[in-house]
Amino acid sequence: MRIDKNLERILKRVEKPARYTGGEVNMIRKNPDDVSLRIGFAFPDTYEIGMSYMGMQILYNILNKNEKIYCERLFAPAGDMEALMREDNIKLFTLETFTPADELDILGFTLQYEMSYSNILNMMDLAGIPVRREDRADSMYSYPLIIAGGPCAFNPEPLADFVDIFLVGDGEELLEKVCLAFADAKAKKLDRRALLEQAAGLDGVYVPEFYDIEYESGGPIKSVTVLNSIAPERVRRAVVEDIDSAEFPVSSIVPFIDTVHDRAVVETFRGCTRGCRFCQAGMIYRPVRERLPETIKELAMEQLKNTGHEELSLLSLSTSDYSRFEPVATELMGLCRSQNVSLSLPSLRLDSFSFRVLEEIQGYRKSGLTFAPEAGTQRLRDVINKNITEDDIYSAARQAIELGWEHIKLYFMIGLPTETMEDLDGIAEIARKIMEINYDVRGRKGGRFRVTVSVSNFVPKPHTPFQWEAQNTPEEFVEKHNYLSGKLRIKGVTFNYHETATSNLEAVFARGDRRCGRILERAWKSGCKFDGWTEHFKPELWEAAFNETAEELGFENGDALEKFYSCRMRTQEEILPWDIIDSFIDREYLISEKRKAESCTVTPDCREGCTGCGVNRYAKCFVNCDAK
Amino acid sequence: MKYVIKFEKTGVICYTSHLDILKVFKRSFKRADIRLDYSKGFNPHPKMGFAQPLSLGYSGYCEYLEFETIDESKSPEEIISLMRAIMPEGLNLISIKKVPELKKTLASITVAADYSITVPVETDLSGSELGEKYMNQPEIRAFKRQKKKKEPVLVNIKPKIRRIDFRTSDDCIRIDCCLDAGSESNLSPELVIDSFIECFGFTVDKADIHVSRTNIQFKE
Repeated sequence: MRIDKNLERILKRVEKPARYTGGEVNMIRKNPDDVSLRIGFAFPDTYEIGMSYMGMQILYNILNKNEKIYCERLFAPAGDMEALMREDNIKLFTLETFTPADELDILGFTLQYEMSYSNILNMMDLAGIPVRREDRADSMYSYPLIIAGGPCAFNPEPLADFVDIFLVGDGEELLEKVCLAFADAKAKKLDRRALLEQAAGLDGVYVPEFYDIEYESGGPIKSVTVLNSIAPERVRRAVVEDIDSAEFPVSSIVPFIDTVHDRAVVETFRGCTRGCRFCQAGMIYRPVRERLPETIKELAMEQLKNTGHEELSLLSLSTSDYSRFEPVATELMGLCRSQNVSLSLPSLRLDSFSFRVLEEIQGYRKSGLTFAPEAGTQRLRDVINKNITEDDIYSAARQAIELGWEHIKLYFMIGLPTETMEDLDGIAEIARKIMEINYDVRGRKGGRFRVTVSVSNFVPKPHTPFQWEAQNTPEEFVEKHNYLSGKLRIKGVTFNYHETATSNLEAVFARGDRRCGRILERAWKSGCKFDGWTEHFKPELWEAAFNETAEELGFENGDALEKFYSCRMRTQEEILPWDIIDSFIDREYLISEKRKAESCTVTPDCREGCTGCGVNRYAKCFVNCDAK
Repeated sequence: MKYVIKFEKTGVICYTSHLDILKVFKRSFKRADIRLDYSKGFNPHPKMGFAQPLSLGYSGYCEYLEFETIDESKSPEEIISLMRAIMPEGLNLISIKKVPELKKTLASITVAADYSITVPVETDLSGSELGEKYMNQPEIRAFKRQKKKKEPVLVNIKPKIRRIDFRTSDDCIRIDCCLDAGSESNLSPELVIDSFIECFGFTVDKADIHVSRTNIQFKE
């Protein structure tokens, strides 16, 4: 692939130019003239992060298998590259053919985290595409259709003024359908409305311009009006019934440069049965659907063969919950050993089998062992339905220390509903007790053993039992961080915590409505981007954006506006912005889970018996699972 | 078995660094099912390496990779054809040679390298005039970045220039040179470029200068 002189000049002046040049092993090459539809899959963060995301590889593979479609990749250029591109009038381009993004038919963004939203606007702008949907409405086909999907599409509203079509749910089948509908519309020269109507008829498609939302001034949603007869009252998420037969890449793209995760990956199952009440993924990916052991092995071996990767990892929400985990893990360990490939098994439940596996795959090169108790006391763990006990934690820690682990990492959340200072004391208590276990096992000096306590700030998410909850205020978070800093001044214990300002902002966009788009646009215009990066996050610009938007929305000031979204308890009567999306989890179930949380009552894992979330009315649970 | 592959690095893959290219080769061996010999110890790594690193952005027309395999069933021709089938665009394998295993590494016997540099400036001087003025300086001085200290130091690079020729055309000057390379004495073409621009007072953006390495010379 030849690149033009202009681009070549700037590549010599930027850090890590291989982020922008494509050409990696297994990249798909097609002649753009031979296809009827060109789509750009855009990841709104840097190449290194985007290329670690398996979803992109899955969809890239599916779309490119269709000879009518060419799917190419785009990432957010880093600051140095962006500055030179703007200086030289180089538009955001695809890595496959260096095509300017505005020449594509469709530009699709993946919505993995809220803090990437400003990058979406910035990438559209870098491509010369007007960011607002209404500014593109008159000239169909002169700009790409802007689509977006991924977990954050379960509350699409904050981006509704910028995106033409949202895809909600599993993308394996839906994205290709939308592409083909577009190709068809383009061939028939249909107008924008007709095209959007075609898409709106598909399960999982949300077309924001077919809905009119009215708001109370300075208050919540007043009413939602469906403007088009084809658009559904509630958009049902798309579900792939059988993961085992779903396409999965065996020739994934192998980046030239180091990325966050640079390894072969096989998804073992989708969904989770644990029912942690804070966890959005645990709700929106239901039901559990497994891939068969044979398929997993085949995919793993094929992928290793076609990529040359030195590491294999299994992907799911909870590795050891795979119904045939032991035989599959045992077999994969053998296969990997014989091929000089290391096996990585994230998020293992720490039982005796897992320890045997970890012994085997890590040997003497033990990395840190991670536990996620999430909360410091049993009471609070019951509130969030994280079904692990103190005993589980301490016996696993003892076993780990006895086996020679020298670093234990603990993950907690603060700001959970009903949390008190006692729960924070519990966090310190767990760290202290693990240190004691170490002294007990290793003797008075304790060796080089360390405990790291990482605390993140709770962000209430849509479609969870905690979707109505108030988030802690920045002041409360800071107070809790300070309190914990004091309590965790223990020899051998390191304490890390997340920045407060981004957590509150994340909460705004997680549960925001269409009006949040105005805040986002202002913030981006004033220079916000890469908000998920501590070194690029500009809280003062965001504060200004909230202040400037407050009045027109009927709020007293920026602070009141921000707290309306983040720190306000919603009533159950309130129309929530994401009510427009049907996640297949019953509202009654969410309410009953919320009540049970309030009374510290746990809900067992639904493998032990249906807990009535309602998803089985739309999709079959436990497809391909081994019934025990 | 120890082999040396000669290859070219051209096109956009020039923007992938030396170390990352090593990883590309490592994975390509895996994909081609050619089993490399691994070092022993706590952190085994495959026995392979380049003769000389090539700076980011440079093209290379005569690069060398040496590697050791534990697989004796494949002929050198088979190895190179298996590898050719899967190498990414821009890494073109030219030839393969079997070498004695106990021989020193290529890196340790590298002594010099030839470069071809294109500087997009116009000048009224002829190639030989450029060469005379440049080489007739009693010392050719350039700033060299040091490994440990942050401050660059001024060094005389003249003794490390083995040969240098200048040619001019309508819109550019082409420099062909042979410079010391390897562990005993090494000269980066960047220093030649800096001192050349400085000597004639040209204004040119370094990003517009293209460098390719055309040959690597070894001790006999």
